[in-house]
Amino acid sequence: MIYVVLFFLVFSVLLYVLLAGADFGAGIVELFSSKENQAVTKKTLYRVMGPVWEANHVWIIIAIVILWVGFPSFYNILVVYLHVPITLMLLGITLRGVAFVFRHYDAFIDKSQIVYDWMFRVSSLVTPIFIGMTFGAMLGGDISTDTNSTFYELYIGNWLNGFSILIGCFFAALCAFLAAVLLIGESDSNTRKIYVKKATIATVVVVSIGFLCLLYGYFKDVAFVYEFLNNKWALAIFSLSAIILYPLWWSIKNERRILSRLFTGIQVIIILSAPAIPLFPNLIFTKSGNISLLDNVAPDSAIKILAIMLIIGGSIILPGLFHLLKSFKMIKILERN
Amino acid sequence: MENLDAARLQMAFTLIFHIVFACVGMVMPFFMITSHYKWLKTKDKTYLTLTKSWQKGVAIFFVTGAVSGTALSFELGLLWPEFMKHAGPIIGMPFSLEGAAFFVEAIALGFYLYGWNKIPEKFHWFTGVIVGISGVASGILVVAANGWMNSPSGFDYVDGVFSNIDPVKAMLNPAWFTQALHMTLAAFASTGFAVAGIHAYQILKGRQMDVHQRAFKIAISFGAVAALLQPLSGDLSAKDIAERQPVKLAAMEAHYETEKGAPLYIGGIVNNETQEVKYKVQIPKALSFLAFGDFDAEVKGLNDFPKENIPNVAIVHYAFQIMVSLGGIMALAGLVFFLVHFKKQQWFTKNWFWLAFTLLAPAGFIALEAGWIVTEVGRQPWIIHGIMRTKDAVTPVPGIVFSFYMYVVLYIALTVAVTWLMSRQIKALNQSQLIA
Repeated sequence: MIYVVLFFLVFSVLLYVLLAGADFGAGIVELFSSKENQAVTKKTLYRVMGPVWEANHVWIIIAIVILWVGFPSFYNILVVYLHVPITLMLLGITLRGVAFVFRHYDAFIDKSQIVYDWMFRVSSLVTPIFIGMTFGAMLGGDISTDTNSTFYELYIGNWLNGFSILIGCFFAALCAFLAAVLLIGESDSNTRKIYVKKATIATVVVVSIGFLCLLYGYFKDVAFVYEFLNNKWALAIFSLSAIILYPLWWSIKNERRILSRLFTGIQVIIILSAPAIPLFPNLIFTKSGNISLLDNVAPDSAIKILAIMLIIGGSIILPGLFHLLKSFKMIKILERN
Repeated sequence: MENLDAARLQMAFTLIFHIVFACVGMVMPFFMITSHYKWLKTKDKTYLTLTKSWQKGVAIFFVTGAVSGTALSFELGLLWPEFMKHAGPIIGMPFSLEGAAFFVEAIALGFYLYGWNKIPEKFHWFTGVIVGISGVASGILVVAANGWMNSPSGFDYVDGVFSNIDPVKAMLNPAWFTQALHMTLAAFASTGFAVAGIHAYQILKGRQMDVHQRAFKIAISFGAVAALLQPLSGDLSAKDIAERQPVKLAAMEAHYETEKGAPLYIGGIVNNETQEVKYKVQIPKALSFLAFGDFDAEVKGLNDFPKENIPNVAIVHYAFQIMVSLGGIMALAGLVFFLVHFKKQQWFTKNWFWLAFTLLAPAGFIALEAGWIVTEVGRQPWIIHGIMRTKDAVTPVPGIVFSFYMYVVLYIALTVAVTWLMSRQIKALNQSQLIA
């Protein structure tokens, strides 16, 4: 039963990163666009994301409920030691969510749109950075559970450091990359060139920041990077992502929308699983050793019920979601190019 | 400010905010689909205009409720990590079901909001029904978790260790039914009166009478029925609390001395030092009757409980008085509405009628918040009644007061923004050209 729970945990985290990530990214793309393109992006984003927008952002709630029900002590470490970045992330999620709905549902289109737009764009950039920083802090090895440490060591230093900031920027770039590729397929012939350019830039940024993360971690002796570079599996998966870059780049250049989306999805899943698969279940690195997800599992009876609930919930939600995506023609893979 | 106080204030503040949005997001879809149904049946364009205007309201409230709910799902852990560590696995079942229900609501809302002229008419309407049903279901499921905090069940607690966890039993805890019933009715009553009040004000001002009168009737019908049923549900709740949480009942009634044939105090100023309630209205033997159905039953007073287990009497007592009196007024107003609707149609032209309902707009939500204060403050000092104290559950992270201030600023700004957006929706509705 624990595997059912783990499956849904991984599944909801991945979907959150892909779906909400593309949504965050669209805001980032909008932020770094010229004025006319901002308006185009805003319109496209609403058309593409509108119907699934609410659903995309529910995945994080599912993931968090699985964590606290199934892995309470693991979750406990996160909410205690990473209280600050998680709170900042929530602030971002809140401002972004209301900005999205305000700018599309306000009864009058007037100057207040400027406020909503900037709120949306800026929080679109800041929120994934904090999500990334939270992940960075989990892997950075600066978490201290020693109660004799100072306030700074316990609650600030673990996430406010070079490695976490780099991982934060990396995640934001990844979101922008996802969005740019998604938008290529949704744009008309006039605007497609813009998103192709954005996708290219995003790819370059993702690769360079990713490289910087490893470089920084290597020279600063970040435990995770050390383990990562000494793990055959991690390196194999990592090289795979490098290899996939070529067909991905080709499909973006040639404006192959289905293929580029497919490669992008695979690429992001690979990038996320490259560190996770080899290190699993040790997903938190602290100053005094690793914390394993599987050492902190809830009692069997709770896991069993959780698994059953997830299966029931999943069998209601997934067909509904699929039907929604299909009805509004968001699953392009099913159609001809 | 101490960390515990800051954490409690933050939790209270965010819940007070979230509950309003959650209730509107849960109940307004029912108004929306009623109006939509009437449009499909009568092809009266006013109903179409109204439906589309309400759906924008639903969307704004749903998203604001969803993001504040996302924040809350984290906040439970961020503020009360010790509580979540132990309670998480036990009360996980209603939470995971709630997650599923909420997801269904989000999917159905996607269909509804974007489905106009794109999906078959009847299916489109039906997705609206699903939005409503799944919204109410998630509300009921979340209350199961709160019910568990009031009547913990489904585990053994020996020497500080939780064992033999039974999540099904925990979800079906004894407080769930009465609490969920009371809360669901409260959501309908408060949203009904609030929406009806807003439209009553527009009628009072003589704007777009056609659409606002239809809107008023739909909203108040739901609100009035719920308000009339609420005293019955309240009675069930009181009897349940009398049995399970006698100290909460004693605090609600500011009842200090144990006695048989206890009187009911209405209003009054509580002095906790001298244990006196001044300026109250006293009804002999009524408390014994209301709590136990017997005029001579013994009601345990606060002095018979250990001092460290007693909540803040004044807050609980005042909140309870506010809830009951506003609930009573609303039930009466509900009765008046039905009377006017069936017998005295001419009153619909009277200004005082619309003024009265305008003034009643906030009554439901004030009563609802007061009710939550009764149940939450009344449970103190426990976070899990009789098992874990709130002070033992609070986060070790210092400086929570700053996070509290942040949420105060954020949510006040959001309240102002949403209110402003709603007023613009109404303005747009009043400017729209209706084809009769």
